[in-house]
Formats: sequence, C-alpha cells, structure tokens
Amino acid sequence: MATIIVGYFKRLGEDLRRDWQLYLLMLPMLLWFLLFLYKPMEGLQIAFKDFSPFRGIAGSPWVGLENFRTLLDDQIFIRAFLNTITISGLGLIFAFPVPIVLAIMFNELQSELGRRFSQTIVYLPHFISVVIVAGIVINLLSPTTGVVNLILSSLGLDRVYFLTQPEWFRTVFIGSNIWKEAGFESIVYLAAIAGISPTLYESARVDGASRWQMMWRITLPCILPTIIIMLIIRIGNLVEVGFEYIILLYQPATYRTADVVSTYVYRTGLQGTQYDLATAAGLFNAVIAFALVFAANRISRKVSTTSLW
Amino acid sequence: MSAVELNDVVKRYGALEVVHSVNLNVEQGEFVVLVGPSGCGKSTTLRMVAGLEEISGGTVSIGGRLVNRVAPKDRDVAMVFQNYALYPHLNVAENIAFGLRVRREKKDVIDAAVKEAAAILDLTPYLARKPADLSGGQRQRVAMGRAIVRKPQVFLFDEPLSNLDAKLRTQMRAEIKRLHKRMGVTSIYVTHDQIEAMTLADRIVVMNGGRVEQVGSPMELFLKPANAFVASFLGSPPMNLLRATVVSMDGEPRARIDAADAEAAVLKLPRASSASLRADQRILVGLRPEHVAVGMDASADVQEIAATVDLVEPLGSEALLHTRISGQSIVAKIETPADVETLLQIGRLQIPVGRLHVFDAESGRAVNGHA
Repeated sequence: MATIIVGYFKRLGEDLRRDWQLYLLMLPMLLWFLLFLYKPMEGLQIAFKDFSPFRGIAGSPWVGLENFRTLLDDQIFIRAFLNTITISGLGLIFAFPVPIVLAIMFNELQSELGRRFSQTIVYLPHFISVVIVAGIVINLLSPTTGVVNLILSSLGLDRVYFLTQPEWFRTVFIGSNIWKEAGFESIVYLAAIAGISPTLYESARVDGASRWQMMWRITLPCILPTIIIMLIIRIGNLVEVGFEYIILLYQPATYRTADVVSTYVYRTGLQGTQYDLATAAGLFNAVIAFALVFAANRISRKVSTTSLW
Repeated sequence: MSAVELNDVVKRYGALEVVHSVNLNVEQGEFVVLVGPSGCGKSTTLRMVAGLEEISGGTVSIGGRLVNRVAPKDRDVAMVFQNYALYPHLNVAENIAFGLRVRREKKDVIDAAVKEAAAILDLTPYLARKPADLSGGQRQRVAMGRAIVRKPQVFLFDEPLSNLDAKLRTQMRAEIKRLHKRMGVTSIYVTHDQIEAMTLADRIVVMNGGRVEQVGSPMELFLKPANAFVASFLGSPPMNLLRATVVSMDGEPRARIDAADAEAAVLKLPRASSASLRADQRILVGLRPEHVAVGMDASADVQEIAATVDLVEPLGSEALLHTRISGQSIVAKIETPADVETLLQIGRLQIPVGRLHVFDAESGRAVNGHA
C-alpha cells in the first residue's frame, strides 16, 4: 500500500515537473473552485445546528437532523417544494422542446436574411433584464391597461386578473420564460445541427427523402446526444426555479402555486432570520438535485450511451 | 440514346463561371471517369447531374429525359460520396435500406434488397453494426450498398476512395470494377487520381479549369494526348515536357532544347508532326518516362543524347532516373539493374523518336495530329 502511495506521488511529481506550464494555467480555476465553491460549503454545517449569528457557526450547538424534521413538518415548505417540482416539471414538458423546435425551424429557413432576422428577434429577449421582463409581463397582463385584457374585452370576454389568480401563475411564468429564453437556448441545438455533415442531407435528397423525413431521420437523431445532455442538466435543475423572476411576479395571493423553495429560503432565512432552517432547505434541495442528475445520467447511459460522465 | 447527356452545361456562382460549356454523352452501361486536378469542376459537373447543384446553362438529360428542373430523388440516380455519408445513428442494414424506407417500399422488399446487397458486398456479418464500428473500406461498401439497393439508372461516384489508404484503395478499385461488370449500370465516377481513372474507366474525361480537355479511352488518352495538360496529367510519373524551339536541320524540322547554362541538345522529331511545324516555333517536346531507354543502340529511330544523372529512385523491379538534358530535368523509368549505383554513371539516354509528342508551347495543343 505504502509503495503504491509513494509511486503515485512520485508520478505526480514527475508530471508536475514536466507539465508545470499546464498546471500553472489550471491554478486560477482551481483556486476559484476552492475559494468560492468549496470554502462556502463550510457554512452547510449551519443546517445541522441551532444557529445564532451572535454565537457564530462554531459556537452554535449541534442539533442533528432537527432542522430537516422541522422543514418536513412545515406545510409551507412542502407546498414550496411541490410547487418547485411542478413548475420545473411543466417547464420540462412545455419549455424544453421549444428551443429544439426553434433550432430545427431556423435550420429549415432557406433565406439567409430571413434566418438572421428571425434569430435576432428570438435571441433579443434573453438580453433583457429579468426586472424589465417582469415589468413587461405585468403591463401586458394588467386588468385595466394590459393588451391581453383589452383584446379579451374587445372580444366580449371577461377581464382576467392573471397575476392575482393562483391558477394562472404557472402559465404566465412558464410562458414568459419560454419567450425570454427559448431563442437563446436554441443556439446550443443550432450548433449541434451545424455539426451534421451536409452530405448526409445530400445523400438523403438523392435517395428520395422529403424535408420532413430528413428532419425526423437525420437532424433529430444526429442532435439527440446534445438533447440528452441538455435534458440531464435540466433535470439537475428541476428543484431550482428562477428565484428573482418568481419574487418579481408573485404575491401573497398566488403563493399557493407560486411559492418555491428558493423564495421560501429567502423569506425564512433573510427576512425571518432563521438561517439554520433556510440552510437545511437549501441543502435538501441540493441533495435532491444531485440524486436526480445522477439518476438521469445513469438512465441515459443505459438507454442511449450518451451521458455527462 | 445516351444514358446521360450533357449539352453545353455551365455552372456559375454569381459572376464567377466555374464550369464552361461541358458536352458529354455517356452510353448505356458505360463507366465514365471525370478526372482532373482539385477545383477543375469535375465534382460540380457530377453534382449537376445528381441535381445537387443548379444548372446555370445548358441541359442535362438522363435516359433521354431532360432533368434540369427535376429534383434529385426523381432523377433515378444513386450517389456515393467521398466521406461515405452514412447515418451514424443507423446500423449497416438500416443505412442500406434508407433509400427504400423513405420511398415507403414494403418491408419484405426492403429486407430482400438489403440481404442481396450485403451478400454482393460481403457485408452480411456486419449488418447490425453502426458505421463507427466499421473500417474505412467497410463503410465505403455500405455506401455502395445504399446505392445498389435503389437499382438506379445511373451510379454517381464522387471521389469514393479518396479517404482510404493506398492498399485499401487498390482493393476497393477492383471491387468497384467487378461490381460494374456484374450490374452493368451506367456509372459516372469523379476522381483526381489518374490511376483510378486509367484502371476503372471505359472512357476518361479529363477536365481542367472548368473545361473538358479531352475525352477518350484510357489508352487513347495515354498514347495520344490532345494537349500538354492531358499528357502531363495522365501517367505516373508524368510525361516529361521539354521546352524547345523548332530549327531546320538538313531540311528537316528539329527541336533545339532550351538551355540556359548548358549546351543545347537537338532532338529529331516524329514525322507525323514535322509537317505542321514552322521554324522558330516554340514547342514542348513530350516523352513518357517509360519510353526513355538506357543502354540501347542508337539507330535512325533512336536518338542518343547526353544527360547527367541527378538522382536514382529504386522502386523494386523498376527505378526512376532523374536526369538533366540541356539543363532541363527529365525522368526515365527503367528496369533496375543488379547494381543500382552504376546508374549514376550513365552519361547518355536513348530516345525513340517515334515516341516523342510535340505540343505548341503557347496553346499547349498537340501538333502531331492527336487532337
């Protein structure tokens, strides 16, 4: 055993001497990871303590899994967790395919000018601040001056208070998120499509395939590995929902469908100063996310041979 | 009726014309090879036949039907590409069946066609494999299988062997030739490799700068090149071309080899070209390396000429002799003697006058009646 360890360090030393320039290049990234990602993990112990800012992390007593028990007994946390999963799940079903469809549509556009124009149009919302997007959405859906309600009333329909009715929150949230991000997210798929050899399409054209057949039989299967990778990443983020955007759009009237773990953590931790409970909620989220991404990766590797690791 | 007919076919990209008025008739069952250097327009011409490039001018007919405006799928052609164009997510059987599937053929018809093609191409053991698990040669056979099952009127090959190593290329060349003999389907094959062209073609079309330089059987082109380009393109090593000026000697036109710092040698010229030459005309005298002799007796038909040997390249049974005549380089391909070193001592080469080709230096055209 000792020989193996000595051998390992000897090899490492040789590697360091030989490729020191490469290790030097790696150093800033390594430091960044250590300082900003691993060092803060020290704070995770708060989740297992009865934390008081006055006593500090070290001075606060250990309480084991007490904070987690409190959380799981808290109906508001359970509701927030289920809302998170529901909003993310609906996003996965409705928002995830949109960039793929967009990318395929851009690819099918024959006119270079038309393609550039439409790409610019759908990319633009991504660069708008989430605060402005929320403002636009609030204005659009305003019951008195909003375009949507004006159209509804001109059609003789009742005005809808979209942002105060819990049943509309998820639709508004996911719909406006699609508008904001789908175009930009399509870049990844467009890049994957650009990597497909044009001769595959030429060969298919000679063989008699229609554009529809080429899309189903060439484009989609060829970008499938990219779709799977993006899906795994998305599944890993299932328990994370855009915190700022929710905060900007929700209100107590819509908590029933809008309150998610991150807003719960914000209210409990920062506004309610229950740091230990908020940390436990965050850690709980992270563990679930890790389990999800791990499982998705494993399933993907078995089913399609594509995986993140 | 020709299987494929190109009449004054032109291809333009904006103002740039890349294929200039190509005329070609490919007969039923014929194997025609378009050969030429990179960028000569051979692939573009083939792609116009396939329908993958729009035709800017002229007409293309397949089986007597004008196809200028016909989609590739309706031209009844099958094409094999340089990079195989295999679908990476499909296995060999599915790749071969692709063309039939998209045409919604019945399953039993597809299965039978795939089995038959796989048997012809020795692919039966690999039907379940993905392209990534195949060698280059196997991939190329799958690409050919995909073309075969369609049973098209015309096969189009776009440099199908360029991605293979030399050994595999020779092997696949023979397979393509056997396949053509067996199926008898009209084939148009594009390559920049003159050996492929010589070995495969019934007729070769030599292209250069978007123009057809000469069309003919391999031996016709080899023995009677219409111009200096064809002469230098076909043959390995290529034909030696010596810059010279026509001088009159004993009432006969001769070629005085241009010599900068050396004594100018004077060569007799073949009778066939003599009548068409005038004094002081600038010419290129062509001589195939395999026609240059060493150690032969001089006679009325064989002229001996002083040469210095720069380098000897033994190739096994043959050797390449890099020499200089009047300062211009000339390569000779001769039988390798037991002692290769003796070749370095050679001071004279024998040139059979009847084997010489004469080209006008300005136009490059043959002046010995091979047009």
